[in-house]
Amino acid sequence: MSVTSVRRAGNRVFIAGVALLILWVLLPIWLLFVNALSAPAEVTGFPKRFIPSFDLASLSFFFGFSGVVDALWNSVKVAALTMILSIGVGAPAGYALSRFDFPGKETFRFLVVMTRAFPLPLLALPLAVMFIRTGLDDTITGLALVHTTLALPFAVLITFSLFSGIPLELEEAAWTLGCTRLQAFTKVILPLAAPGIAASAVFAFVISWNEVFAAAVLTIENRTLTAFLLQSIDVSPLPLKFAGGAALVLPALFFIFAVRKYLFAMWGIANR
Amino acid sequence: MKSLTKWRLTAAAVSLSMVAGPALAEPLFWSTQAKPVEESQKMRDEVMAGFPGGVDYQPSDEGPWLTRMQAELQAGSGRIAVLGGLHGDLSSLGPDLVDLSGIDAAAVGPAMMELGSLGTGEQKYIPWMQATYLMVANRKALEFLPEGADINALTYDQLIDWARATAEATGGPKFGFPAGPQGLKHRFFQGFLLPAYTKSTVTEFRSDAAVTAWETFRELWQYTNPAATNYSFMQEQLVTEEVWIAFDHVARIADAFNQRPDDFVAFPAPAGPEGRAFMPVVAGIAVPRTAPDMEQSMALVQYMLQPETQIATLRATNFFPVIATDLPDDMPASVQAAGPAIAAMTGAPDALPALLPMGLGDKGGQFNQVYTDTFERIILAGQDIRTVLDSQAEVLRALMIEANAPCWAPDAASEGPCPVN
Repeated sequence: MSVTSVRRAGNRVFIAGVALLILWVLLPIWLLFVNALSAPAEVTGFPKRFIPSFDLASLSFFFGFSGVVDALWNSVKVAALTMILSIGVGAPAGYALSRFDFPGKETFRFLVVMTRAFPLPLLALPLAVMFIRTGLDDTITGLALVHTTLALPFAVLITFSLFSGIPLELEEAAWTLGCTRLQAFTKVILPLAAPGIAASAVFAFVISWNEVFAAAVLTIENRTLTAFLLQSIDVSPLPLKFAGGAALVLPALFFIFAVRKYLFAMWGIANR
Repeated sequence: MKSLTKWRLTAAAVSLSMVAGPALAEPLFWSTQAKPVEESQKMRDEVMAGFPGGVDYQPSDEGPWLTRMQAELQAGSGRIAVLGGLHGDLSSLGPDLVDLSGIDAAAVGPAMMELGSLGTGEQKYIPWMQATYLMVANRKALEFLPEGADINALTYDQLIDWARATAEATGGPKFGFPAGPQGLKHRFFQGFLLPAYTKSTVTEFRSDAAVTAWETFRELWQYTNPAATNYSFMQEQLVTEEVWIAFDHVARIADAFNQRPDDFVAFPAPAGPEGRAFMPVVAGIAVPRTAPDMEQSMALVQYMLQPETQIATLRATNFFPVIATDLPDDMPASVQAAGPAIAAMTGAPDALPALLPMGLGDKGGQFNQVYTDTFERIILAGQDIRTVLDSQAEVLRALMIEANAPCWAPDAASEGPCPVN
């Protein structure tokens, strides 16, 4: 067998692998959107048409469903606030962990991860009692605080490894050239770390966006989309399941699409 | 780009303020029922619309439903005005529910009202709506019905013959059973299969008759679509024709009739040697002691019992009224199909109602698990029936003693916890 034919075979395997991976990701999304955009009667039919019939009955029912727009907006607010809080608290913590030695550092790292050891249904009851007493109940801030607790460990750990990957020498060089600590951070470290921080922000956003239990217990008037819909979707007729699925997936897709530049940049760092 | 984003935000804010009406004065109806989006939409738009000032109807999964209620009880103040749930959901909240004897519920039958007292002297909840389980068949399956069998008076043996004939004619098992994680399989064993063979749900759990019941079901399982362990709402598989004959809750088969009214028939559950066992399902409404405005809560409970509200509830949820009332002619196809089948089942000469578990408090989930585990061990894992029943009977006995729950129909009344022979 000649070298070229081996290479050609290798190429074919590579292309097949890539195609398989693409299908793996795109097929469910395609099915979701085809079914969401089909007339209810077509949903149970098979085979599917490649291009849906763009019947908006299911989707328009969905968005006509009173409170959906409201809940969507609440979800965005809670997720955005979670994102800000968890990066605002998590990134400095990650920086401190990677740059300074302080007593109890290992314990601190362990405790951060420990917060994920307790299942939310267990925590929700005392949290809800406390929230009702303090007036945080049924507020965007209250829910965002809970979601921040969930997202924080990831934010701390991701930013920790991120800052650890940026050589201290860069910072030191900046100091020798007259930068203060803060200037060195904002002018040298931050631009390098920004893509990673964006990625961990996306992660926080998605964690908050997907969370159901706390949202269902802690909000009444200000329900998030998941609390409002997710519990109903699994017991709804098939066409509505697809419409609801599409409605839940779409904003997350948009968001990730919007920050994809930073995500790719981060992978660039990882490859170097 | 920036101005576009700004414009979008403004648009969102405007639509937000338009959607969010005055909400605070509305009583909060916190419910585990009518969860599917279409049903909760109808509850809000049609059922609750007649209540002065409107109602905030919020359906929720049992977990968050209970946790939220417990949190309000512990905090000592709350938003929930009225609770809606199945008998089992409400029974775990017993001590924290307000006595509703003041409500005029004379139209509701005394047996059902008795359920709502949860074994105390007070009226802990008022029956709200009721349902049961039925069999459904695709009309294409009718030609394989065994000779001489009356679809309204089938026996389990005839059902097996029918399922076998259908499987042989079509080349694949066509019986469907909701054995998935969300499926209501435990109710079939508690309220249909076991009582039909043993006239008991608890006491005769490991009797010889119970062994026969499980043998029968194992036979039926051969003609059951093996994907049944993923089924939770049989209407989906009926519509896709993955199964032709199925058993499920009336609310979970409704969509099949509403989508294709001419293609399906509903009929009573089959009978065993002890009778045609079936399980009536009762949902109730209750008022927690933390309700913000007692008077308003009571008014809402009373409103739910009015004949017009009851009929609107039937349209919305496929749960039937708890009061005797004439149904209008323009009911949905699902109601028109289920009505006569339910009447045939409850009015059958061999009818044997097997009630929902009573007095188990928060042990209801564990009680169901006993039946689910028994099913999984015997049918899915293929273990010996006698061995499984003996070991599960121990679990069941311990549970009944722990809950100190006396027997309920069709088991004979007991002094102290219901015995497991």
